[in-house]
Amino acid sequence: MDKFSPDWMNSKAKHLLAKLAVLLVLVALLPGAGRGIGGESPALTEYQVKALFLLNFAKYVDWPAEAFAEDTTPITIGLLGENKFGDDLTRAVAGKSFGGRSIVIRQIVREEDWGKCHILFISASEKQHLAEILVKVKTMPILTVGESEQFIQRGGIINFMKKEGKVRLEIELLAARQARLQISSKLLGVADLVHGKQ
Amino acid sequence: MVQGAQAGASAPTPFQDATDLTLDQLVNIQVTSVSKKETPLNQSPAAIAVITQEDIRRSGLTSIPELLRMVPGLDVAQVNASEWAVSARGFNSQFGNKLQVLVDGRSIYNPVFAGVRWNVQDVVLEDLERIEVIRGPGASLWGANAVNGVINIITKSARETQGLLVSSSLGTEQQPTTSLRYGGQLATNVFYRVYVKYVNHDGFVDAMGNETPDKWNALRGGMRLDWEATSGDLLTLQGDYFKGDFGQATQIPILTPPFSTNFTAVNDNRGGNVLGRWTHGFSEDSVLTLQMYYDHNVANEADLQGISDVYDFDLQHKFGWGERQAIVWGLGYRYLPTDNSPSSFLNWNRRTRNDQLYSAFVQDDVTLVEGRLHLVLGSKIEHNDYTGFEFQPSGRLLWTPSEQQTVWTAVSRAVRTPSELERDGQFNAAAFQPSPASPPVLVRLFGDPDFRSEKILSYELGYRVEPTPRLSFDLATFYTVYDSLGSIQPADSPFFEAVPTPHLVVPETFQNGQSGETYGAELSAQWLVTDRLRLAGSYGWLRMQLRPDPAAEGDSPQQQFQIRSYLDLPHNLELNGAVYFVDQINAPSSTIRIPVPSYVRLDLGVAWHPLKTLEIGVWGQNLLSNHHPEFPNTRTTLQTEIPRGVYGKITWRF
Repeated sequence: MDKFSPDWMNSKAKHLLAKLAVLLVLVALLPGAGRGIGGESPALTEYQVKALFLLNFAKYVDWPAEAFAEDTTPITIGLLGENKFGDDLTRAVAGKSFGGRSIVIRQIVREEDWGKCHILFISASEKQHLAEILVKVKTMPILTVGESEQFIQRGGIINFMKKEGKVRLEIELLAARQARLQISSKLLGVADLVHGKQ
Repeated sequence: MVQGAQAGASAPTPFQDATDLTLDQLVNIQVTSVSKKETPLNQSPAAIAVITQEDIRRSGLTSIPELLRMVPGLDVAQVNASEWAVSARGFNSQFGNKLQVLVDGRSIYNPVFAGVRWNVQDVVLEDLERIEVIRGPGASLWGANAVNGVINIITKSARETQGLLVSSSLGTEQQPTTSLRYGGQLATNVFYRVYVKYVNHDGFVDAMGNETPDKWNALRGGMRLDWEATSGDLLTLQGDYFKGDFGQATQIPILTPPFSTNFTAVNDNRGGNVLGRWTHGFSEDSVLTLQMYYDHNVANEADLQGISDVYDFDLQHKFGWGERQAIVWGLGYRYLPTDNSPSSFLNWNRRTRNDQLYSAFVQDDVTLVEGRLHLVLGSKIEHNDYTGFEFQPSGRLLWTPSEQQTVWTAVSRAVRTPSELERDGQFNAAAFQPSPASPPVLVRLFGDPDFRSEKILSYELGYRVEPTPRLSFDLATFYTVYDSLGSIQPADSPFFEAVPTPHLVVPETFQNGQSGETYGAELSAQWLVTDRLRLAGSYGWLRMQLRPDPAAEGDSPQQQFQIRSYLDLPHNLELNGAVYFVDQINAPSSTIRIPVPSYVRLDLGVAWHPLKTLEIGVWGQNLLSNHHPEFPNTRTTLQTEIPRGVYGKITWRF
């Protein structure tokens, strides 16, 4: 090949440029090359955080005795609608128990199974049917948890809100009392909004 | 009905440590907006199938192409101990040229010969997250050559592969093979893994059961680093290097009787890649991904010799536009310097190329009726140095009449762009002597600088249904029209060559002289019979009609059937089984091709977990016959037969 031909220069130059560009960007991607390592909080997805909240609800809420068949009956967390947790929720509750009760996760498909839950998480996918669902369970000892704008207004007990990339809580005590649930002051203390205080 | 969620028995991960976080900490965590949850599988308007890590672990299959056997309707045929022919919806060949394949976003489709060298693609199988296979065109997103399908091989993040993993196997076909991986944490949000893997495989056998020279070994190593820099930024840097020697029984035309000679080649391949990716979430529905990679391949094979490099830059931005539209758009640039060397088979009219590919795409997912009806429109526009601009649009409609049912339909256009071989290569295809008095004749195939893209238009219709939470069916049907398909046709008049002995050369060239249609259906089912028994099955049916030469209609099996069973036994034992039926392949087009009869393959395996971290498995593969062929001889590679094999494997995680 004639190394003075413009074609050769051209392709060689292209080759070099591409190589350099790739190298530069790869180096820039190396940790430490940019700014330092970020804050200490672990990187969790929205639904991992929500899963951890659900675990904490099992810990900081007291159910009336008749909500459980026996002293060792597990606390059941039911999922209604689209499951965006993947297996994160199952992983979060694995091996955990509160007051001698372990925790089980169930995907709820039929209406008659709503009553078998202690915590019912109603996915945003069900937001069209919120009022209908919440009316049916409001007198049962079920902690209803949602993630839709109108959740509290429609009769739900705890709602997840997104604020500046954080998951925040809104709690309705009237609905909790109707369901005969005691919510610990620790949980109330971290909520952004608590309605129905006496 | 209440369906119990399956409890994961996986090793502790950082997420599980997070269960100690206090309520005060929880309300202050900035959640990552890098979306890890994809669209649920049953809501994709395409014929998509996923091989999960569980499927991989319980299959006993030991390489990426072998794992693809589990995909409904995919045609996987082993050519010899280290080579596979893989294709979807017809047109199988040693290098399936109508299938795009990516490993963690890096294309492994080779532009020199148009296809994938499956023997140099490998990973630590335990580190695979999943393999996603789309049958049918995916060109509106993945670009040219995603004609009959797209395979996305996805490895786990470094966060999910922490600790030490040792996996070793030994068997009748499998000589000592070992994977070693270690994953660690450099800082709170920086995870890495490093690995080495050595595979050593025996040769197969010929039709008489005698050992053939296709034994091979490959050594590879690599790393991956994931830095979750902020709640919205994820940086990934990964790279691999490999080196392998692959035995191959080869034949070459010669000018003296018997006009072809067989010899053993040891193909020596090596290469490596580095990839960097930055994913930035502006908000929950606005995510930008910037990716680049460099891929280096050196082939020193009986036929292909040379270096092919790829420099690739990709930008992708996903965002929600109003309440009803989700838009993804992207830009890409690829620079492909290649340097091909002549071999005893192959000559090049032009040895070096420095091709460039520019691309842009946009896709809009419009919600027509909330939760019920989606319209997905998109197109890729590419410019390549061979054929200029290529437009590859698609339109898809997804209807979910109920939670349990999905109906989808699609119309898409895709192209398969010319390979360097079809443009610039030349090789001797066959030799013979018409009569004892005449000089020998050499048929020589010339690349044609006017070879164009192959074009297709595909119509698809699919239906998925979940009659109960334990049972699901997925049916995909297609009708595809092919135009300007590659063909081999006589060129100019024959001419004489004096060396090495006087002979007549009959030239042929690559042309776009074929057209035709294919149609077919793929049905798959998953059934959770009890909590301990899972069955998966599929059936694929394919018809091809090609004109004017119908010979290639026989390249792919008309029918395929498989059933896989996963049974959990007491005492931490698992029993896994799979039966595959593959219809015959008729390949009457050339004298060196031997038709391959249909076959049934049975694999059985037992795995025992004495500890959660330890798996001991014994596998029997191809149990029903002493040996069977799966693919005809190709122009250069002689087919060998797959023998019955038994191997044992230990996997230990620390």
